[in-house]
Amino acid sequence: MSRTAAIHPLRLLLQVNLRQLLRRFQSTAVQSPLWVIMVVICTGGYLALSFWLFYRGLRFLETFPGLGALLTERLLFILFAFLFILLLLSSLVISYSNLFRNRETAFLVTLPISRETIFQWKFIESAFLASWAFVFLIAPLLAAYGLMRGVSWHFYVLTILLVGMFVVIPSVLGSWFAVVLARYLDRRSFQVSCVLIGLTLLSVVAFWPQPEPLTEDMLEVRVLAILDQMLMQTRFAQFPLLPSYWLSSSVLHWAEGAFATAGFFALVLLSNVLLFGFLCLTYTGHFFYDAASAVQSRNSVFGHWIFGRRHKPSSSSPWPAKGGLEKVIGWLPWLEPDLAALIVKDIRIFWRDTTQWGQTLVLFGLLAAYIINLRHFSTQLTNAFWVNAVAFLNLGACSLNLATLTTRFVFPQFSLEGKRVWILGLAPLGLVRAVKTKFTLAFSASLIVTLGLILLSCRMLRLDFTRLSYFAVAITIMTFSLNGLAVGLGAIYPNFREENPSKIVSGFGGTFCLIVSFLYIVFSVAVLAYGSPWVASGARSVSVTLLCMGSFLGLSFLVGWVPFYWGLKKVANFEQT
Amino acid sequence: MIELVQLVKRFGDLTAVNELSLTVGRGEFFAVLGPNAAGKTTTIKILSGLIKPSSGQARIAGFDVQTQPMEARRRMAYVPDFPFLYDKLTPAEFLRFTGQLFRMDEAAIVKGSHELVARFNLEAYLKKSIEGLSHGTRQRVAIVSALLHDPEVIILDEPMVGLDPHHARVLKDILKEKTRLGMTVFISTHQLSVAEEMADRIGIIHHGRLVALGNKEELRRQSGVDGALESVFLALTMAEANLLSDHTHAPTSKPQ
Repeated sequence: MSRTAAIHPLRLLLQVNLRQLLRRFQSTAVQSPLWVIMVVICTGGYLALSFWLFYRGLRFLETFPGLGALLTERLLFILFAFLFILLLLSSLVISYSNLFRNRETAFLVTLPISRETIFQWKFIESAFLASWAFVFLIAPLLAAYGLMRGVSWHFYVLTILLVGMFVVIPSVLGSWFAVVLARYLDRRSFQVSCVLIGLTLLSVVAFWPQPEPLTEDMLEVRVLAILDQMLMQTRFAQFPLLPSYWLSSSVLHWAEGAFATAGFFALVLLSNVLLFGFLCLTYTGHFFYDAASAVQSRNSVFGHWIFGRRHKPSSSSPWPAKGGLEKVIGWLPWLEPDLAALIVKDIRIFWRDTTQWGQTLVLFGLLAAYIINLRHFSTQLTNAFWVNAVAFLNLGACSLNLATLTTRFVFPQFSLEGKRVWILGLAPLGLVRAVKTKFTLAFSASLIVTLGLILLSCRMLRLDFTRLSYFAVAITIMTFSLNGLAVGLGAIYPNFREENPSKIVSGFGGTFCLIVSFLYIVFSVAVLAYGSPWVASGARSVSVTLLCMGSFLGLSFLVGWVPFYWGLKKVANFEQT
Repeated sequence: MIELVQLVKRFGDLTAVNELSLTVGRGEFFAVLGPNAAGKTTTIKILSGLIKPSSGQARIAGFDVQTQPMEARRRMAYVPDFPFLYDKLTPAEFLRFTGQLFRMDEAAIVKGSHELVARFNLEAYLKKSIEGLSHGTRQRVAIVSALLHDPEVIILDEPMVGLDPHHARVLKDILKEKTRLGMTVFISTHQLSVAEEMADRIGIIHHGRLVALGNKEELRRQSGVDGALESVFLALTMAEANLLSDHTHAPTSKPQ
């Protein structure tokens, strides 16, 4: 066999994966042009809208006499500091799954590719996956900042280079954390640790800030004191060892024309990128292999856990006794056994997939932390307009959170059954009843959370019973509609070939579901607020209120019931063929 | 060509491979049999470098798969039961990619692929996207890519799964031809007929231990059953299971 001058395996891997990516785009463009148009419009819409909002926001800050520049500067420091943390977490999670839960990695380990090269490739892939959204998010902000400051073209070039360098550091740290965690923690411990850390952070966010109680009179005379307090509390973003500090400083100084100082911070960033990059690309491969082997060598994710051992069957019978969940579901007398079995199965799968409940917990936990913090401000919200505005914004935030979760987790439910459709399809249960049950379960579970949050929000804002009931009914209808939409579209646009729910969601149906959910929420909150009897200083006319409520109900029916109904029809047809 | 020396692999409390020692010579067709969860796949994963052993050594062509992984992998090929292929590539592109990883030039890749592709009837699929291929066709592509660089050792985990009888026959023929030319075949299978027909020697693994080793006649003698391999296999694994149930801490048995 003749051998050739070797092409470096990393180059081969880059070539192959770029070709894959290109073909994926091409096939998507050919197979789903509507999806591509929808994504392009939404992306363009986001960029234009966020650019406009950032630009207006920065202009507004600039109008603060004597403080505009300081506030803008601090805003950028805080933004980059939080993005650094988010990028670090995102990189950690993506690196973990990319290095240790990836079939390509296992394939490459058996080939004559060094461990260092495998790690290099997976690091590059993870860094790209973790950071593209970050760049997409901050691009309009930096463009708006540049426009506001009237900078030259080279500001944008430098900013692109700086951001490109900046993302390397959290990516390296994230991949290192992933390797260390994989080496010493099993998957379950890793996931639970992430959730516990998240919950701790949420608790800190919920209970740490203790603003000084202020009256409106004090607000008018103590603006400077408040600003001073705010600047003191956000000083952490200017910690000189944070990479986000070097990035922000370089960007800000370059915009001001202080090129030498900007260059200094750019060089600090570059030197750290080179150091971390070098260490990552040369020495981590060996540790990666140890960690990968350790991940593959764990007996059971429950094996080392005390509760896992406690529930091991007795030696006399290998058959496990009914669990607590089965007993609880069994207490519901109206539930037929086959539906009960389906519900138990769905709850178990949800519970055992920490990704699902972890994301749910983080999203709603953040919202809960914010709502709990409302107690500090509710006494200051003496103006009825702001009380109502906050209450409606809470309704919108709660619904948006729900929409992301219904799209991410409820939409792919039917597609995921596709691979196992013989179980449900051949059982006397029937697919239609199965889909209805999934809807009921998703609706009931999400209603407990959304209704709870809205009631908490109303309580924190000290709303009266009438308004509390108004918001409670509104969130119940919206929860129904968003779940109906996700279940219905999931059945209308199934993807039986894909087993990864995130890939199912990224298709046309999932994207469509997210966009419709978003538009529905915007419209609903707008008409509910406009038609509400409490927003205007004078009472709205009854006809306007009725029109708004009618529009809300009509749209909710259209968005929730119609797709659900068509989805059921499609499932019934599918079952008959 | 393949040496396993006192190989042990523990998953927490479970010992999946228990002091396994084995040597497979050059040009030998070796089949490893065993019930589910016997430790066959774990042994193969250690051999292919996917996991590290808890103790002991695994060597391919004299190279330790842990301390000299590149040397070992250049001389071997591994076909898992569900092989990974890049979905958006065509089989031709995938074969070129794997050939290049083994430092083959374009002429060698084309020449090497030509016969294998023809024998596995893959010509019609060469320019089609892999994602559209059936499981059996994907399996054939994976087998061709493994054989392409003419490895000294090939390790196959349930390679017949998904192959139709014709292509299963083709694979058997090719493997037999290659062993005559010096290639070592290490195959794990539940299809006893494959082992019976093809293997020079058969190893039976049960509870992570090699409970029997030898050619068909030697296995018959060891089991005391004079019948088909199925009867021999059942006798050996059932006897081992009974032994284990009698003695909770059964001593490690060595192959005769």
